[in-house]
Amino acid sequence: MTLLTIDKQNWTQGLAAAADHYRLFGPVKEKDQHRFKALEKGQLPDLDLVNTRLSPKDLVFPQSEIMLTYSLDESREDHHIMKEAHTDHAPRAVVGMRPCDARAIQLVKLNFDTPDVKDPYWLKAYEATTFIGMACDTPLSTCFCTSAGCGPYNAEGLDILMMDRGGTYLAKIFTEKGKAFADTAGWNQATPEAAEAFVAAKEAAEAKMVSTISTDNLADTDLLDLHGAPFWDDIAFACLNCGTCTFTCPTCWCFDIQDEVQGKSGVRMKNWDSCMFPIFTVHTTGHNPRDTKTQRVRQRFMHKLKYFVDKYQTGIMCVGCGRCVRQCPVNIDIRRVCELMNSFKPADACVAQG
Amino acid sequence: MSGYTEKMREIAGRLLGDCSVQMVIGFRKGTLPMMNEPCFVTNPEQVPSLVWDSNCGINLANYLTNRKEKIAVFAKGCDSRNIVNHIVENKIKRDQLHIVGVPCTGMIDKRKITGMVNGEILETTETEDTIKVRTAEAETLFDKREVLQQNCALCIHRNPVIFDEMVADPVAEQTDIDRYADVRKIEEMDSKEKWQFFDDLLSPCIRCYACRNACPLCYCPTCFVDESKPQWVGKGQDPIDVRTFHFLRAYHCAGRCTDCGACQRACPVGIDMRLLTRKLEKDCQEQFGWEAGLSLDQRPALDVYQTNDPEAFIK
Amino acid sequence: MNNNSWEPKIVSFFCNWCTYGAADLAGVSRFEHPPNTRVIRVPCSGRVSPKFILAAFMNGADGVWVSGCHPGDCHYIEGNLYARRRFTLLKNQLEYMGVEPGRLHFSWISSAEASKYVQVITEVIDAVKALGPNTRFVKHQAKVA
Repeated sequence: MTLLTIDKQNWTQGLAAAADHYRLFGPVKEKDQHRFKALEKGQLPDLDLVNTRLSPKDLVFPQSEIMLTYSLDESREDHHIMKEAHTDHAPRAVVGMRPCDARAIQLVKLNFDTPDVKDPYWLKAYEATTFIGMACDTPLSTCFCTSAGCGPYNAEGLDILMMDRGGTYLAKIFTEKGKAFADTAGWNQATPEAAEAFVAAKEAAEAKMVSTISTDNLADTDLLDLHGAPFWDDIAFACLNCGTCTFTCPTCWCFDIQDEVQGKSGVRMKNWDSCMFPIFTVHTTGHNPRDTKTQRVRQRFMHKLKYFVDKYQTGIMCVGCGRCVRQCPVNIDIRRVCELMNSFKPADACVAQG
Repeated sequence: MSGYTEKMREIAGRLLGDCSVQMVIGFRKGTLPMMNEPCFVTNPEQVPSLVWDSNCGINLANYLTNRKEKIAVFAKGCDSRNIVNHIVENKIKRDQLHIVGVPCTGMIDKRKITGMVNGEILETTETEDTIKVRTAEAETLFDKREVLQQNCALCIHRNPVIFDEMVADPVAEQTDIDRYADVRKIEEMDSKEKWQFFDDLLSPCIRCYACRNACPLCYCPTCFVDESKPQWVGKGQDPIDVRTFHFLRAYHCAGRCTDCGACQRACPVGIDMRLLTRKLEKDCQEQFGWEAGLSLDQRPALDVYQTNDPEAFIK
Repeated sequence: MNNNSWEPKIVSFFCNWCTYGAADLAGVSRFEHPPNTRVIRVPCSGRVSPKFILAAFMNGADGVWVSGCHPGDCHYIEGNLYARRRFTLLKNQLEYMGVEPGRLHFSWISSAEASKYVQVITEVIDAVKALGPNTRFVKHQAKVA
């Protein structure tokens, strides 16, 4: 690991130099919100933000992505043959993502990059990307990353982690990818003596966190007991079954595959899907095994806070970014649900059932 | 509305206590400032969780669809109009409901207030006419009228149109309200400007369907966006698909929408899709003299006709 | 594209009991009229859902024309009267969202009115021709990023 100091005066030049070799992405203010977008030539990422409304997961997992293309024109030799889409996987870098969003991509990776199955679309985009994080000194009251296996200075999934020191940025380089980016940008002012500053800032940032969750009992609680817990109707009642929580969640990875044909040419694309939508589980027979709102809401929370915990033993499938808490139209709060699940004692259920 | 909570708990306690209803639908205190969560209570011990303030903008009629229990529900003016719709459209029976009318002075616009202060809002407190907003650095006092949701600022039916009992005496209705100034502004644009205006308006849409799902009018077992034989609208982010979704969603509410604002309130990216529904509302009024949800005895605008309906556009 | 040689594509929804017959009669009577419509026969103008009209535009129609029986003459007594209300709102809403006036047309043509059919189809095609190809409400193939 190397520590560099980047003078803010060299920031613009450095990014401009990098832009010759990388497609740059970063947070940009649009209307009243920040969004991760491809940066135009000379455009700087706007790092003065609290949390983007949508996570940058779409940089490796676009909301709509073409996988295959084909022609139905029988006068062509290659008709009805699926061909891989020529997606641009030239090197790219995302500048200014939060540590929570970076860890989220590692959690999503568990799904797309398994020993048996590797999703080429996700992996090619992932491998092409250099992840440059900005440590977070301004947590919101809904942030609970420190108790969700993450933290405001968490480096997991990042090639470079930067922190703001007023006139300069301090950057930790973790990987070859990170080093290559720093070299391209011309950032080379090594400052090993600044390591202390990182530690102090990390402690200060963590001390600002006001929100926490407890997850210590989730793994040991019996899955079927939790599944049958009496609180699900109460949690699910307000739910509208919109997909806001899943679409804004940096760790939600479900998608649907669709064919779109115009005339004689077609594409096969994958689009984000959501376990909140009734159609998510509908069989071709019309039967829907997850037919009620309570079942769908339970699925979302059980997946994040129980099934995932049991399957991977890496903690919960949540990084504590608080987006779903802030954006749920009816204020269903994962912190409250987690509390109910974590403190659940099956005996209670027996008593409740009489 | 500051005294409503106590009265509501009293009413809910009575109704559950004497078993005249099996369930009371209302709000409980949210975990964030300016948010309350719709909830149900089924026994008198849970009644103290019920609250009411200017953050109860979710339309509770949305939670009545196809329910079988005998229910008491708190209903603002707009909620009550949607309950009328529900009864007229056979989604619930009148005698299944005990409607507790809530005279309403408007709900506050969380997004607007957030845009008016610097830093994260940690707490809000309200009186009859003011909202005090606390951030880490400062406290700001707003006149409630300045920070209402637009649909509340333009509301002309603040009192419930149907109820079994009232939480309080009716409030004064607003008069001399110009409900369609912004719609007219769009109508005056030329065709190209209109197209671009809506391209821009709808561009942030992420197809989460929160607008559709927050709407009490949307209860089709299979929504047109989920139909696959044929598939009317693509599932991706194509702007034409996005526009088609919004067009048809709004059109489906024609003659039924009460402008309760649930769609706009629910949108995670802040799209004012009420510009679509209010145009339909305006047309229904101008063309057919119709206003939705005011009477149990009238069929919705598109469920009836007059022999002399306007038809100048038909050759 | 050379505008002089360009011919619009019109998707027409004709009621089985009237306009469809009028089109037939116009043909049998050897009335000359432009051939730019693709006719879809429906049982009643009341059968025409807004989804059909949007789908036609999305799939590349330059104009859409819906034609049914005169009020009072509906085979199903009142289908066209319900439809009329729907079309009023639909046309206004489409134009409000920026579809050019002149893309979408409605008419009442009875099965005896072959000459009215010829007159209206000419009007419809002239109106759409004047606007040029539909470039707004058309869905294009998604592009690879």
